Amino acid sequence: MLPNRSRTSVLVFLLPPLLLYCAAVLFPILQSLFLSFFSWNGISDMEFVGLQNYIRMLTADDVFWRSFFNALLYLAICLVLQLGGALVVASLLTSLRRGRELIKTLYLLPAVISTVAIAFLFVRIYSIDPVGLLNQLLHWVGLGSLERAWLSDVNTVLAAVSAPEGWRFTGLYMLIIYAALIAVPKELEEAAVLDGASKWTLFTKIRFPYIRPVWITTTIMATTYGLRGFDIPYLMTNGGPGQSSELLTTYMYKTAFTSTDFGYASTISVFIVIECLVAVGLILFMLKRKADS
Amino acid sequence: MIAQTAPATQSPAVPPSSAAPKRRRRKPSLYRTLSRVLIMLIVIVQVYPLAWLFLTSLRTEQDFATGDPFALPSSLTWENYARAFETGDLGRNILNSFIVTMGANLLIVLFGMMAAYAIQVLGFRLSRFVRGLFLVGIIVPVQIALVPLFIDYSTVNLLDTYQSMIIPLAGFALPMSIYLFSSFFEYIPRETYEAASLDGAGPYRIFGLITLPLSLNTVVTVVLVNSIFIWNDFIFANTFVLSEDLKTIPLGLQNYIGAMGKVDWTATFAAVCVTITPLLLVFLVLNKAMIQGLESGATKG
Repeated sequence: MLPNRSRTSVLVFLLPPLLLYCAAVLFPILQSLFLSFFSWNGISDMEFVGLQNYIRMLTADDVFWRSFFNALLYLAICLVLQLGGALVVASLLTSLRRGRELIKTLYLLPAVISTVAIAFLFVRIYSIDPVGLLNQLLHWVGLGSLERAWLSDVNTVLAAVSAPEGWRFTGLYMLIIYAALIAVPKELEEAAVLDGASKWTLFTKIRFPYIRPVWITTTIMATTYGLRGFDIPYLMTNGGPGQSSELLTTYMYKTAFTSTDFGYASTISVFIVIECLVAVGLILFMLKRKADS
Repeated sequence: MIAQTAPATQSPAVPPSSAAPKRRRRKPSLYRTLSRVLIMLIVIVQVYPLAWLFLTSLRTEQDFATGDPFALPSSLTWENYARAFETGDLGRNILNSFIVTMGANLLIVLFGMMAAYAIQVLGFRLSRFVRGLFLVGIIVPVQIALVPLFIDYSTVNLLDTYQSMIIPLAGFALPMSIYLFSSFFEYIPRETYEAASLDGAGPYRIFGLITLPLSLNTVVTVVLVNSIFIWNDFIFANTFVLSEDLKTIPLGLQNYIGAMGKVDWTATFAAVCVTITPLLLVFLVLNKAMIQGLESGATKG
């Protein structure tokens, strides 16, 4: 604590940021909670309906459950691509002598591109007429039977809209994990190699435990980002065909701004927030417990 | 700051060149060759689509509609760019994105620094609680704010303004910024402040004369990292902005779809190329600072 500070000076520094934060983040969260107990289309009078929105959401809304499971699959694909891909590339990169900086830059490139541009790009990559990159590639390697319109096939569309999101941020997580990996003390690794440790034991016994705190952070980041995924599915398919690529976020958005059912949309929002908190809690619980055992 | 400097000090420690050839001769490491091939493959997957995007923007329309997508363009044309500028108001979109990015960054940096200063340096009784309050914003998805803000904005007439985008963008980025600034302030030695205090400097002068100038590096980090997300923001702009005059780049790009029922893909790709250029240039010039920022941002967590 600074010796010569006064109560006013604390307020002068704290109040403006706190006000902005309350207006943009905290207050809207409370407002969503409040609205979730009402039925309201934004024009007529608000009507208090108690838990009715929640009951409808959990028991009577098939689209909600469909979106929920879609969102989980979307999250799983993103996590595998982002964290798995990041861990593999970061580990490989540490064995490289030259060109690390260049590869890091190239790898991060997609993160700089806007989601709208990425959506455009991938619509063309997946397209069948004119033949897009993916279908052409399949044709060349002799898997022509797999060629299809990836975005209008109900079986592939969810994976097809998840992949760009994973692709986009792999570089970001790779950077973070890479920074953690090269901070592993060289003496530890060398001692293990002298003891005859294989690459795999070196990784599981020395490197990974050492980077565990960073791994927890990145997992939380990737998970919360995955759960808020919206832009790419919304732009590429708008949840379709049918509801086969609908996520909770896109469903909430449409409920709010297409059906103007603000109350019910808020109920879904509240669910998304709880889902994020539960996910973070679970990650901390699982990864911390493993570290202790 | 420890983590931020770590990569730089480590990289010279890569095996000394004198020892390297001997080791390599002993085992022509299959592992190393394999990992190189794999890295190259993954880099191609990451970069090729973007190169393809650029090449397509130079193709003629027939070439695009009929040709093999991997083939090099049969002839190069800038016509797509001309059409891109005719269809949309790209200059306007870029200017709007620039205004929003600058405005939000200003708030994020200034307010982030102020809050971190109050919490970390000045200190007060509830500082732990306030810090926790700010943490909520890192976990909570931005979509939760859409409906409430839409309603609030329409009551105070803020819909369809620059502020309607800047406020939530800054608000949701604030926690991370506070976090980065507080962890930097931890490394400013107490003695510096105490000496200044003894000389009679109050909290405002210490902020202006010591904390602010020392944090310039962190400011660069915060601005670069946030700019990527703000420049590309789609959801807030899409929800709160309606008029053409205020459309940022992501919304402007959407105009290229379905304008006449069908999409002029080559012109759209030309527009995409134009709009990603400013941020791409900044990124390529400052990528070292940006990469360090991203690395330090999370490794400190």
